[in-house]
Amino acid sequence: MRSTEKMRCPRCGASMNHHADKIVRADGMNGTPLPDFEGVMVEFHSCPACGANASRIEH
Amino acid sequence: MEARSLYIPAILGTTRQGRMSKHVAQLMVQEIGKHSQVETELIDIGDLPLPTNNAGEGIKDSTFASKMDRADGLVIVAPEYNHGYCGLLKHVLDSCLKEYVHKAVGIVGVSAGPFGGTRVIENLLPVMRELGMVNIFWDVNFSTVQNIFDAGGQLLDSAYIHRIEKFLKEIIWMAKTLRYGRENIGL
Repeated sequence: MRSTEKMRCPRCGASMNHHADKIVRADGMNGTPLPDFEGVMVEFHSCPACGANASRIEH
Repeated sequence: MEARSLYIPAILGTTRQGRMSKHVAQLMVQEIGKHSQVETELIDIGDLPLPTNNAGEGIKDSTFASKMDRADGLVIVAPEYNHGYCGLLKHVLDSCLKEYVHKAVGIVGVSAGPFGGTRVIENLLPVMRELGMVNIFWDVNFSTVQNIFDAGGQLLDSAYIHRIEKFLKEIIWMAKTLRYGRENIGL
């Protein structure tokens, strides 16, 4: 289930743009593995204000 | 529209002693630096303090990760060793992920033989894709690199400058385009 809440930039606090998803192995991602994919779905966001990039696990 | 300069560093993808690729990487930084809207620097993977007893994001170096986060594009200078890339280059690249996604990359192949690193470029393409980067379709190929630079690293064949400029024009275009997309166009 994709979060509809906009991610906030960890650097400047602006609202970020969600531009990519990827299944990533759970190792080191602090997430629960998805049995079907052996990983977690990670969202990638970028900040239009300062250019910072961030990711979060899709819940 | 572009308040921030583009940042396109060049990664020297080998640690071998006597590496001629260092001359290539220095030339690339010199040529990127001629573009006023682009900041660059040479990132020598031999200078990165990454351990080899683990891999992936478990060994992430904060300075390297910060540079990858800031980057809008990467120029990777990759010598061809036994038709492949340097294992330590892969080790370094694997230490980040979110920092690369939807960013431009161009690969500069280097070889002592006549093929100019074409095989290492082809071998790197699936790696770039899996890291989320977007490869341009112009390469620079340095064949018989030992004959292209003198011992002090001075370029002996000026034809390369034109080829590099074609490569840089495309990666700058791609970097601008992808920056706009990352920051403004949602899924």
